Formats: sequence, C-alpha cells, structure tokens
Amino acid sequence: MVALLLLLAQIDASFPGTSRCSDEDFVRRIHLDLAGVIPTAEETLAFLAKPDRPALIEKLLASPAYARRMEEAFTVMLLERRTGEAVPEAKWRDWLAKKFADDVPWEATVRELLAADGRDASPAVKFFVDGRTEPHRLTQDVARIFLGKNLTCAQCHDHPHVKDWSQAEYMGLYAFLGQNKADKGRFMPQPMTKKVEYENVFRPEKKKSTGPSLAGQPELEVPAYAKGQEWEVPPGKDGTPGVPKFRPRERLAADLVAHPQFARTAVNRVWFMLMGRGFVHPIDMDHSKNPPSHPELLDALSRRFTSFKPLVREIVLSAAYQRADALLRPLTPEALARSVAVATSFKPGSQGKFNATSYLAGKKSEPPSTLDDLSDCFAAVFGAPAGEPETSFSVSTTQALYLRNDRLITELAAGMKGDVESLYLRILSRRPTDAERMAAKGVAPASLAWALLASAEFRLNH
Amino acid sequence: MYQCGGLEHTLSRRSMLGLLGSAPFLLRPLARRKQRQVLMIWLDGGLSQLESFDPKPRTAFGGPFRAIPTSVPGTHISELMPRTAKIMHRLALVRSMSTKDNSHSVGVGRVLRGDPVNRGVDYPYLGSALTRFLPNESDLPPYVWIKPGGGGFIAQHAGILGAKYGALALGDGKPPVLVHRPAGLSAEADRERQSLREAANARFKGRREGAEVDAYDSSFALAERLMARKAVFEENAERKDVERYGAHPLGRHLLRARQLLEAGVQFVKVTSFHWDTHCDHFRMHQDMVPQIDRPFAALIDDLHERGLHENVTVILMSEFGRTPKINARWGRDHWPEAWSLALAGAGIKPGVVAGKTSPDGAWVDESPYDAGHLFHTIFRAVGLDPEKLEYENNGQPLPVLREDMGPMKEVLA
Repeated sequence: MVALLLLLAQIDASFPGTSRCSDEDFVRRIHLDLAGVIPTAEETLAFLAKPDRPALIEKLLASPAYARRMEEAFTVMLLERRTGEAVPEAKWRDWLAKKFADDVPWEATVRELLAADGRDASPAVKFFVDGRTEPHRLTQDVARIFLGKNLTCAQCHDHPHVKDWSQAEYMGLYAFLGQNKADKGRFMPQPMTKKVEYENVFRPEKKKSTGPSLAGQPELEVPAYAKGQEWEVPPGKDGTPGVPKFRPRERLAADLVAHPQFARTAVNRVWFMLMGRGFVHPIDMDHSKNPPSHPELLDALSRRFTSFKPLVREIVLSAAYQRADALLRPLTPEALARSVAVATSFKPGSQGKFNATSYLAGKKSEPPSTLDDLSDCFAAVFGAPAGEPETSFSVSTTQALYLRNDRLITELAAGMKGDVESLYLRILSRRPTDAERMAAKGVAPASLAWALLASAEFRLNH
Repeated sequence: MYQCGGLEHTLSRRSMLGLLGSAPFLLRPLARRKQRQVLMIWLDGGLSQLESFDPKPRTAFGGPFRAIPTSVPGTHISELMPRTAKIMHRLALVRSMSTKDNSHSVGVGRVLRGDPVNRGVDYPYLGSALTRFLPNESDLPPYVWIKPGGGGFIAQHAGILGAKYGALALGDGKPPVLVHRPAGLSAEADRERQSLREAANARFKGRREGAEVDAYDSSFALAERLMARKAVFEENAERKDVERYGAHPLGRHLLRARQLLEAGVQFVKVTSFHWDTHCDHFRMHQDMVPQIDRPFAALIDDLHERGLHENVTVILMSEFGRTPKINARWGRDHWPEAWSLALAGAGIKPGVVAGKTSPDGAWVDESPYDAGHLFHTIFRAVGLDPEKLEYENNGQPLPVLREDMGPMKEVLA
C-alpha cells in the first residue's frame, strides 16, 4: 500500500496543475474504462448523491464487468479482429476473461500464449492458428504487441529511420518463431537444424545468419542432432505430431516476458488505453529517438508491474486521470454497442443466426437481437479491418450512414420515453443544462434521443 | 516526435476523406478540370485467350472456333466476339501477358496489386491505388465495385492505404443498403434530429477541445452528401440500353458501370465470376464469351458517343489465361505463361496489338509483360507519373510500382 501511494504521488507529481473533472464526467469516464459501458441513469444518480470516487473504483474493479472489459480490449489488441474458427471465439474469450478476473500476472498469460501448441486444448493457441501462421507476420506482430517495436521494415534491411532497429534483431526474433506447423487447431514446433540465413536486400551479396536471439541478449545455439535424433517424441505413424528436442518458441516465451521491454510495453499500452496517449507514442515506436513523455514515471510503473488490476487502480485514482481536460478518446466498438443498449434499454431477444456481414450488406434484414450480435455489428462498422491495430479514432461515412439509417438504431431511439432530463441522464450520464432544457422544448423525444446517441459527446470518452 | 500514424495526422486525413466519400473542395487541383476515370472489367477465373483475343485456329491447341477479321486490318479475334471485332479500332490488345502464378488465390492478389516486390506490407489493389493519387472532383465514393452476390464496404482492397481507400461494393449492382432513410422516418423528422445533433456537437465543442468532434461531424456531412446523390445508385435503365447491353448480369452490370462513370465515380470495377472452365471448356466459352462481347462493345460505343473515352480508361482482363493443352475433360486449365487483355479509352493508343505469342499460342514470342508493366501502363494512361509518387509505411517511403518494370509503350497514346 505504501508503494502504491508513492506511485500515485509520483503520477500526480508528473502532471502538476490539473483541475479535477466534475462528478458527472467522472462517473461516465470510470464506468467506460473499468466496466466498458456507460452507467445506467440509476447508477449515475446514486453516485451523484454520494460521490465517493475511490469506493466506486473499488466496486467496479471487483465486478465481473471489469474482467469482460479487459478481455474485450485485450482480445482486440491480441487478435486484431481476425476471425478464424480453428479455436472458437467464445472459448478464447472465457480463457482470457478468467485471467483478468483472477488478475493473473501478465507474464504468465503471455508465456502460456507464446508457448501454446494446442495439444492441451488451451484456447491460447488461437493467437497463432487463427490468422497468424505465416512466420514473418507473426514475428512483426510479436515485436509490435509485446515489445512496442514496429519492426516491419527490418525484415529486409535495417530500419531506414530508426537506428536502434536492425535486421539482425528482426531475424533473431524470427529465428524463435519460424519453425511451426499449423494443422487442425495445433501449432506444433518443428525441428530447427540450422541458423536462419538472410541478406540485406540492398546488399544481397553479403550473406548472414543468426540463431534465435532477443534484442540485447545472447544468441541461442542451435544444437546439431544426428538425423533422426532431433525428436524428443517422434511423429507417430498415425499422424500424431512429434515434439522436437529444441523448441525455440518455448524459450522465447520464457525470455520475452523477462525482457525489460515487455513490462514497459504493457504499461505503456494501458496508459494509452486510459489516458488517450502513450508515454511512448505511437505505442509501437519505442526507440531512443522517440523518448517517453515521462521517462521516470514509465520506469517506476514498469518496475512495479506484474498484473493489470493494481496498475489500473493506480492510474484511475490519480489526479492525472481524473483531470477536467482529459484527452478525448473514442469508445471501443464493444463499449459503444453496450452503451447504446444500456441507454435505450435494449431488450435482447432469443439467439438467432445473426451474421453482421450479411446484415450490413443488406442480404439479411433481421437486426441483431442479442447484445453479442449488436456488439458484432458495431465491431464491423466501427472497428479496424482484420489484422490492423485498432489504436486511432477513425471516422467514416459508413459509420455515419449506419447510425443515421440503420433501422434498429432509429427504432431504439424512438422507443425511448421520458422527459428531457431522463433522456440526458440515460444517454449522456448527466443532467441537461438550462440552455439544453430550453432548446429541447417542443422537440420529439425520439429525435432528441437519436441526436444524443449520434452526438460526439456520446461517441467519445471525455 | 513520431514518423507517422500519429493521432493528429490520422485524424486530419481521415476527417477529410471518410471511408466512402471524399472532400472535393480539399482535393480538387486548381489546374485540372476534367477528372480521369477508370473502368476495370474483371473476368474472374480466367478468360481463354484462344477463345477471345488471340485465336489460333487449325493448330494443335486451337479448339473448334474460327478467327474472324476485325475493323483493324490484319487483326483477327475469335468468332465468339463479333461485336468486339467491329470496334477493334477503338481497342488496344496485349497478347503477351506473362505472369507468375497459376493459382487463383495467389494470382488474383498479385495481378490486382501490380506484382509488387515483397516489402512485408499489403499493397493496395488497382482501384485503391489510383483513387489514392487521382484528383477527384466528384462527391461520390471514388471506388465502386459492381459484383454478383453481396455488397458492402470492402476495406481489404486498400492494403496499407487504410480502410478509407477501400471499395464500396454494390452487390448485384444494387444501391448501398444504408443510403435510404429508415422506413417510417419522415424527411422532416430526419431534419429535426440532424439539427439537434449538430447543436449538441456545437455545445460540446464549446466545452471540450479536440479535433475528434469536427472529424465525427464531417463524417455525417459526407453521409448527407452521399444520400443526396443516392439516385445515382438506383437502377434506371432505358429499355433500348437493356436490349443493347443484354439483360444478363454482365450486361446489366456494365450498363450500371456506364451510368456510374457518367455520374462521376472515379474507379468502377465490374466483376464476373465462373470463367474457370476446367471442364467442358468449349461449350462454356461458347456460352460465356458472347456475354461479355455484347455489353463490352456497347459500352465502348457509348463512351465514344458521349465523349467519355477522353477521360475514361478501360481495362478488360482476368488473372491469367487458359492452357493451350486441352485436358481429358475437354477443359483448359490455368495458364499464366501467355495470355491476352484489352485496353481502351483515355491515354490508350487505339487499333494496336502489343506482343505476340508462338504459332501454337503456348508461349510469348515478343515483349512479355507482367502485371507490373500493366500497372505502369495504366498509371501513365490516366496521367500519373509513377516515379513521382510514393506510399508511406511507418516513415519509410515505398515505391508505388515495380521499379524494374516500365509501361507497355506501344499501347500508350
């Protein structure tokens, strides 16, 4: 607790002169960040009557909504909206949500993820088998997501602008990840018998080679086994996969989570998620020419980091988080869907065979009937394309057309009864100002409800 | 300091462009007043060069059909394309396409991306690439794709350019689903709620700073403009046009394409499927080739009659051709080694034939061209200098086209 208070003091000391946001701003902001959805009108009113911020924070951190919110955010970060069916999405989500519910150390989760081969039926293998079996894509994603480095350019040559990022670093990481076979939901390591050979595309005459090597750490030796001796468990004649003696990916799983860049990247990502901008920004450009905004604070938080809940707690308790002029951040597609549902008292129907793509293409006219379906629909409209990171606020005509003309949104708005005050409380989690009450005189509730749902104030966390 | 992809950067670009529309007042160049447009007709699966633009009758692999003379003396094409034969003086043929992949899964992507060097990123398809660079004077979505089956917004075509350069797909040529006001909502009620939304945003902007609010607002403004132009997407074909183009999907879709080009859409792609005739090839092509011959000839005629050929460049192609050798099921298989395509319109020299295949049609004898050459040619035809353009990936400039290839000069005007 002492350490926590010290860190809190350090966060606040790093952002002097902040003014505190109103209770109305706070109740919405904290619900969106910790529960992934706006508060109900009743929750808002209860908090405004007794505005105990630390108590609300503890209540939300202990609720199942926290685990779901974190799972949704990290699923988007880890899978980047890839939809494969080798591992069912529901199983993956349950697996990951439990990690957040139990506040498992992040290093344990990532170790399990990176070492996964699917033999034990752990859904962790989804990270590989549903869309990331190509070893270069995998190398780039691992570097970006867990080490904060966008090494794409270094596949073929040293990074042209970032001196720190060499092709040798890239190929060293690639050597850990290059030998696997994806088959039927499994991602089995294959024997590695020699170093990875590569060349700079600009100087192809100069051949180089490397064994598995993590930035700044010694290269692993690739053991030489006599032919036939490379297997710990040889592949079965019936098709059961073999297990090689040398398994560099397993080594990577252990080494990567111990690397100083690992905790730093996790902390930076959570800071970005809650504050709208990373210490290091863009979050995948962590190199010496792009230093963090608050280096000591980032170091201190990274040193203390083991699991997410204490980190999230420290950040949201800080005056920096509770400032009045916080950066505007978009709601995630999931949060937007849930918030529309809460604001409009969306009544889920029975689970049908909803498919967001067919619905949005106009092939199926039956709108989403469950919260999961609504969430899928919003992810298709507001989310990034599969395989792209979802880290910036992207607006599009498609989104505006959806909010304007999709029948369900208009119907949900039309179904909202009540006076102006109740519409503002339910949708924007605050009471209307006098000017807003005046402006709403004589206006149809359905029109006002839709306008508030389609407003920038609703779209953003502020 | 960061190289690219920063929030302000992304926002300013995205707020200007949106996913579908674009902002003409920001993009319109001062000098050019007439925008360049492109029509790409894609016969998915592989049109047979031997049953279309490069017939080899009375040879080992020639098949049963004859070659007929065309409006260009000395140039013969398959008898399955009598109408196209009459407009050959308006086309340029390339008979020496020679590409690398004989599988659809790799070939389609590589050809549509211009056979880029592997730089660890996804290059955009032709429609996304051209609409990224061509000045746009229209407030319609720049890249529209007419295809059988479903529609929607297809972001994947844009590759590294990001979703905003994706294609608006009109499934079976039908209008995009969400441009219509929801049933039961009057125009008046819609106006009321729009003005309430704008007022709410103005108040919010008074309290909180951030470019996000303007960006969000602008997407609604662009949606409004698209809705105002929705008549463009409605089917309103005149009977005599339907008779000339044909009532079959390719006929209807090419007629839609002409209407969209007339309305100002910058890049229109029309896809037709099922050209992959591994069995019963001759009967299939006898049935299918006339389905492209008729509307294609009608469309080229119409472009000329309306003067649109001066700003619309037309490409008719597949991902590869078909094997000279006829297989045991009377089929022809995939053949990237030697195949043909047709070009027409703006920037194209009419009445010429580039390249030559061997007497049996199996191999290219003169001027082999890959997809990279084709992309150079199309960029030049629409007035772009590829050497002056670049993509940007993570701070690194990337060449737009193959640096080791150039245009097919003989087909450029």
